Amino acid sequence: MSIEIKNLSWEVGNKSIIENISLTINRGEIITILGPNGAGKSSFLRLISGDLKGSKGEIFFDKSNLDEISIQDRSFMRSVMSQSQEIVYDFSVKEIIEMGWIERGISTYSEDFEEAVDRISLDCSVNDLLEQSFNTLSGGEKRRVHFARTLIQLWRPSGSDDPRYMFLDEPTANLDILHEQKMMKLIEKKRDEGIGILLILHDLNLAAKYSDKIAIFKNGHLVSIGTPKEVLTEETLTDVYDVSMKIDENPFRINYY
Amino acid sequence: MFVTSLKKLGLLKFTNSFQLSILSILIISIALIFLASISLGSFNFSLKEIFNSSSSSLDRIVLLEIRIPRVLLSAFVGASLGLSGASLQGLFRNPLADPGLIGVSAGAALGASLIIVLGSGYLPDFIFGTLILPISAIIGASLVISLLYIFTQGFGYQGITYMLLVGIAVNAFASVGIGILTYISTDSELRGLTFWTMGSFGGASWQLILPALLIIIVTMFWMIPSSRKLDLLQLGEPEAYRLGVDVRKLKFKVIISSAITVGISVSLSGMIGFVGLVVPHLVRLLGGVNHSYLLPGSAFLGACLMMTADLLSRVLIQPAELPVGLITSAIGAPFFLWLIFRIRKT
Repeated sequence: MSIEIKNLSWEVGNKSIIENISLTINRGEIITILGPNGAGKSSFLRLISGDLKGSKGEIFFDKSNLDEISIQDRSFMRSVMSQSQEIVYDFSVKEIIEMGWIERGISTYSEDFEEAVDRISLDCSVNDLLEQSFNTLSGGEKRRVHFARTLIQLWRPSGSDDPRYMFLDEPTANLDILHEQKMMKLIEKKRDEGIGILLILHDLNLAAKYSDKIAIFKNGHLVSIGTPKEVLTEETLTDVYDVSMKIDENPFRINYY
Repeated sequence: MFVTSLKKLGLLKFTNSFQLSILSILIISIALIFLASISLGSFNFSLKEIFNSSSSSLDRIVLLEIRIPRVLLSAFVGASLGLSGASLQGLFRNPLADPGLIGVSAGAALGASLIIVLGSGYLPDFIFGTLILPISAIIGASLVISLLYIFTQGFGYQGITYMLLVGIAVNAFASVGIGILTYISTDSELRGLTFWTMGSFGGASWQLILPALLIIIVTMFWMIPSSRKLDLLQLGEPEAYRLGVDVRKLKFKVIISSAITVGISVSLSGMIGFVGLVVPHLVRLLGGVNHSYLLPGSAFLGACLMMTADLLSRVLIQPAELPVGLITSAIGAPFFLWLIFRIRKT
């Protein structure tokens, strides 16, 4: 069970943004995309979310072509967290989190609603903010609330084996160190529950620590893919980022100058 | 009991008990204001006498043929404007949106003005009779909607800005049209036109309002179940889409239902400003911003306020009558300024 992306390309006008990328996102695995600005990371995430349609290539969610999956069914299978927009009206934090709850028309799900909201708010340490107005929160707090919403979207009763995937575009942006660590641990926990996770990160060491696989993008191309140790080499990184990199092996750490 | 079972069905999951009590109070207010409105006016009745059938036949005719249709019309026009204001503000994610903004009211107004000024000279009465004015206004509103549809390529993904710009152009064009019509109209036509642009429920008759009420009710029941989708849209179009909302379909639904209800309202009662803008804000101030509460709340409060405004228009300078649009604008314009002031501060 996986998402398979085959020879995906996307062009705007004559400019090629994504070029011939093939990649697999397995359930129960964290795959992180790294790369400099303009490498096509966020465009790739929008393509596999279905926001945009690629010019060439195909995307399969557990063998079904993404084009043939309805908008509603897509929302059951994958949740996406990206740079969020401003919210005009004065919603409470709880209301924002609840927006991730997708009605499936099954009463057993509905009965678990309150419990799921409480549980996930606690996991994301936003349980004290629930009654506050969302617009008064700090950037980091807003990020955690959106993360909770992303988790609620994929919530299932225990024992469910539905295919689920989560795409997170820089989830730890604006977070302090404590909450960054908490969020990454939570992402690992979700992986262990069988969710396939695609991350976009900028922090190379964070990626090295938490990813099962790393894909490096540059100018819309997939430069390298493999385990962190296979991919994160001094030559590749220096070449991709145009900055000299030095790697300490024990403990594994990437330094740049 | 009833509420719990609705909640179990998932219908009121996102409406809290405080909001439900506000909605109940609004429904009770509608009933009370309705009773007050049909009994007060330049011609006062005792409702008790009418129910005891001890009233004169003139009383009955005034009540059944003039007063009740008029009050019903004002309630439904208020509800339409409130509901379409709330849904458009949700769709555009802009607290200043209003049916007038995207040019729908202007289109309807131009259609109606054409008939008031030119129609009398060229069209014999028997063609459509009294329905000609509403039909022409609905055609005007529909033309504007079609223009919006063409310019935004089917209410497409990035179309909101275009829609507002098209609205500005349509409003300008319509005011030129109405200006020319005003210039060439005769004295009596001018009088009709002027009163109509100020809004009034004076022309209500069963024949006119029954089809209108039916269409408005159907459209409302079509629109209100989309409230949850409008909530999700507040996260932004891509986010709503990722949560399973077909954004294009939702836009289509909101725009079409607003066009229908506003087109009908404008044709039957003239230009009534600010209700669509002010009512949703009051409802938000009362109990919250989620659309499962906001949409029905705006329809109910719109009905309450419009019946009250119409009652005021009838009793303030008896036996004459103030145009109801003047009353709503007199209250709405300062509120609008206050709103802009408040938005600037935050």
